[in-house]
Amino acid sequence: MTFDWSVIWQALPELLKGARLTVLIALAGLAGGLVIGFAAGLARAYGNVVLNAIAFVYVEIIRGTPIIVQVMFIYFALPILADIRINPLAAAIIAIIVNAGAYIAEIVRGTFLSIHKGLREAGLALGLPFWKVLLYIIGPLAFRRMIPALGNQFIVSLKDTSLFIVIGVGELTRQGQEIMAANFRAVEIWSAVAMLYLIMTGVLTLILRVTEKRMRIL
Amino acid sequence: MSIVEFKKVTKRFGQVTILDEVDLSIEPGEKVVLIGPSGSGKSTLLRCINALEEINGGDLIVDGISVKGSGRMVRLIRQEAGMVFQQFNLFPQMTALQNVAFGPHRVRGETRQEARSQALAMLAKVGLADRVNNYPSELSGGQQQRVAIARALAVKPKLMLFDEPTSALDPELRHEVLRVMQALAEEGMTMIVVTHEMAFARKVGTRLIFMEGGKIAVDGPPRELLENPQNPRLKEFLQHVA
Repeated sequence: MTFDWSVIWQALPELLKGARLTVLIALAGLAGGLVIGFAAGLARAYGNVVLNAIAFVYVEIIRGTPIIVQVMFIYFALPILADIRINPLAAAIIAIIVNAGAYIAEIVRGTFLSIHKGLREAGLALGLPFWKVLLYIIGPLAFRRMIPALGNQFIVSLKDTSLFIVIGVGELTRQGQEIMAANFRAVEIWSAVAMLYLIMTGVLTLILRVTEKRMRIL
Repeated sequence: MSIVEFKKVTKRFGQVTILDEVDLSIEPGEKVVLIGPSGSGKSTLLRCINALEEINGGDLIVDGISVKGSGRMVRLIRQEAGMVFQQFNLFPQMTALQNVAFGPHRVRGETRQEARSQALAMLAKVGLADRVNNYPSELSGGQQQRVAIARALAVKPKLMLFDEPTSALDPELRHEVLRVMQALAEEGMTMIVVTHEMAFARKVGTRLIFMEGGKIAVDGPPRELLENPQNPRLKEFLQHVA
């Protein structure tokens, strides 16, 4: 067979539209996932028995089930249970938030607890409330250690958006699938789709590397 | 009025009793040196004063406030009782200057500018005017500990707690820390020092407390006790550390 570049040029506008949606889902999902992840991770690390238990159950349920089941549940089961309508895009974003949040929670817990406890005592001994010790002393140190693990999670979540093909979100993989179904040019289309994912994860890696370099890793 | 008053203070870790109904009053201006074998409860006693350890029985009043009070009350105690740790515990992401300015700014609520100028003065006082922009990892142990002393002093405490401040230092670096502590004592600061430095106890201390098995075994003037110990356990202990 011959690799026909014109197929790719023709498909590119539609593929880029899909890539844009992929980026949107990943960004919104990860932003939310960071918020949930920090809350759940800090609850696991420092929360009282109740908060700790809630966060623990959340993390275990999400880590213990496939993301594709989670998004099916959000899109198909939740509307029946709660009598609400969810559009596919919202379901996709919520799935990333909930899923990434659980993994980020473990990253947050691990890094915060890895900071030497003498620093916490030094902060408390100055007369600071504990939340300020976390905010000004432990947090910045933990954040630096978090970057490599967060980078992993960001890349995994970005690629996980391709699973939302099952609920009909027009993200990159779905766009590729639809074009392929019309022109049967599997080699060209899936090569182009793979390249676009590589470019997105490549940019992400670059941003993370620059961030890491600009911080003194301690 | 006493600045620190232990009233039958008991502290347990699980089943083990670390402090056993300790009674102790410390007056402003005293330089109390706490000695004793490891596990005798001297560090725990110190850490109860600023509520880094919670007491299980009795009461402990620091500068008129009980350590059993609310979180806000405990923070007031901590602001008045500066602490210096064996392992320095400087904030590694901050320079010496930022470490020392941190307390005045974040705890006392002073402006960055005020906090900075106070920190500079404090660092000059401990002999580190030329190292203000260095990170802790770029300083020797003795320099780090002096920054840590400056950090505690910058909050303007009424009382200073030292938890084996020279134990993690090489012998040749100890004297620079001890000199700073002696200067502080000469200014009239109330000090409680857990240490194995007997020369410091004799020279600077106004009161020596020997702890054993969670109780205060001996309490008196350092010179007398060190030269002519009556208590057989103290005598034995001094032979081991000397």
